[in-house]
Amino acid sequence: MEDKEIVVEAKNVCIHYRIMKNITVRHNLFQKHAHQEVFEAVKDVSFTVEKGGILGIIGRNGSGKSTLLRAIAGVFSPNSGAIDLKGHTVSLMALGVGFKDNLTGRDNISLSGMLLGFSEKQIQNKMEEIIDFAEIGDFIDRPVRTYSSGMHSKLAFAITAMLETDIMLVDEVLSVGDERFKKKSLNKMQELINDKNRTVIIVSHSIDTLKNFCNRVMWIHDGEMKEIGEPKEVLDHYVKFMN
Amino acid sequence: MYIINSAIILVPTLFALFVHNYICHGKITFLKKLSFFFIYGVIVGGLMYTIAWTKGIKGIGIVYMTVSHKIEFTLFGCVMSFCIAFAICLAVEKDITSQKLKMYLFRFQSDIRKYFHYAVCSAKAELRSEVANAYLDWLWWLIEPFCMMLIYTLIFGVVFKASEQFFPVFIFSGLAMWTFFSRGINVSVNIVRVNKGIISKIYLPKFILYFARMLVNGFKMLVSFAIVVIMMFIFHVPLSVNVLYIIPIMIVFFLFTFGLGTILMHFGVYINDLSYIVGIVLSMLMYFTGTFYSVGNRIPAPFGELLEQFNPIAYCIASMRNAILYCKAPQMDLLIMWAIVSIVLAALGVYTIYRNENAYVKVI
Repeated sequence: MEDKEIVVEAKNVCIHYRIMKNITVRHNLFQKHAHQEVFEAVKDVSFTVEKGGILGIIGRNGSGKSTLLRAIAGVFSPNSGAIDLKGHTVSLMALGVGFKDNLTGRDNISLSGMLLGFSEKQIQNKMEEIIDFAEIGDFIDRPVRTYSSGMHSKLAFAITAMLETDIMLVDEVLSVGDERFKKKSLNKMQELINDKNRTVIIVSHSIDTLKNFCNRVMWIHDGEMKEIGEPKEVLDHYVKFMN
Repeated sequence: MYIINSAIILVPTLFALFVHNYICHGKITFLKKLSFFFIYGVIVGGLMYTIAWTKGIKGIGIVYMTVSHKIEFTLFGCVMSFCIAFAICLAVEKDITSQKLKMYLFRFQSDIRKYFHYAVCSAKAELRSEVANAYLDWLWWLIEPFCMMLIYTLIFGVVFKASEQFFPVFIFSGLAMWTFFSRGINVSVNIVRVNKGIISKIYLPKFILYFARMLVNGFKMLVSFAIVVIMMFIFHVPLSVNVLYIIPIMIVFFLFTFGLGTILMHFGVYINDLSYIVGIVLSMLMYFTGTFYSVGNRIPAPFGELLEQFNPIAYCIASMRNAILYCKAPQMDLLIMWAIVSIVLAALGVYTIYRNENAYVKVI
């Protein structure tokens, strides 16, 4: 294999959750040293993803996949270890970030886009494309609260799919809306993921999805990395383990 | 008697220790605490003594001071020790050095530049969504404070027979500022929880959420002040150059609200009951701030003035009124003092947020 530029580098990443029930003042005053349990969600995970690579992450519920993904997205930083993105832009495929119900779809597109880190100009350029893709017609100029749930997720998907970043993080491959839109969104996802310049990390439970998309798969079990490598091998081991 | 006298030094010293403890997140050993206690005692005591000397109170003086002087000194000592503790922490603590301060400052600057636009847009969107379905649309921003002013003028002006000059303007300007403050503080406690949807999906510096909220409130305050200007013409309020003092006063006021809000915002994440406490304290504070009356004139002699000087909100409101209604300049030394305190408070707030924001997503 030829040498490729490394885009994501995670080194000995550990992430703890302090199990802290929301403390009340009473607890704070009278139980001075309330023992805090520490839950290690991700333990000492290291991996790299090269440019254009598609890494799948698999593991059973609560094994720390989403936590890892969020740490890569920068929602929180790891307690120890480091995640280096080499200055690339990153986005977590998240639906409807910062939607305000009383505003029109158009306003929400610019607000959401801005939260995802794009400038107003970029959003204006993409605006028509997003509206076209979302297929919600006149509703784009009506308040979001009047949308049906299908329309809501269609708009949300259109926003995240159109605003492209170097690194894309996907928590479950999304398909929303009616049958037609589902197909369309799946196609769009495929197009996005297969783009040679884009690095993608996918978290999924679906073995088929991972087999289709990824060129490498990582298996996380209880926060620890169990295996990383060729999709077929890892997934076979995973299936065997789970059964 | 000795107890009261020693309290003049003791209270500020303990306060300084408390601030120090807060900044270092309680990692200080008892011995260190004790030594800091003496250090602060010497510094605060010495400073107060020098100031008393320059102000013309010669000799050790404490015995000859009147009660009001003693209270004034204690309060002044607390204010001072707040800044001193911050400075000393910068100098001695390993955790926060001036180097790190510079780093945080740099980060703060770049964050503000990066997210300012979002804050403005989000504030705009918030304002628009607030009135999006109201029949009278943005007129509510005028009508609501105006009606409030009418109610208070009726109750305090007519029923309680307040005698302040230009009473409607007096109440309206005070009310505008108080509303800005109390709304900001009320919101700050829950703001992280309310925006869970945003912060669990992307990173943004959490104080931006509060900052956007402050812009919303600030805009409403601006609208209220537009009405104030119109009312000033109607009531033929005389004007002088001193009106310009409103700019520094407003900056201090804004900074103070920001600093206090960010600190409360941090604790609001962990302590659920805080919103109740804040509610109670705010409604108490409202009456001690002189929204409806002049604190300095109405509360008996030593305490009224003290309250006006050592309650930053009351000070801001009173000097704002002096500037725009009565052509008086604010007390410069106090303005500078509160400016310093506000800056320290804002720095402390931003520092608190930066240090802890990582854990917010995991808690809520």
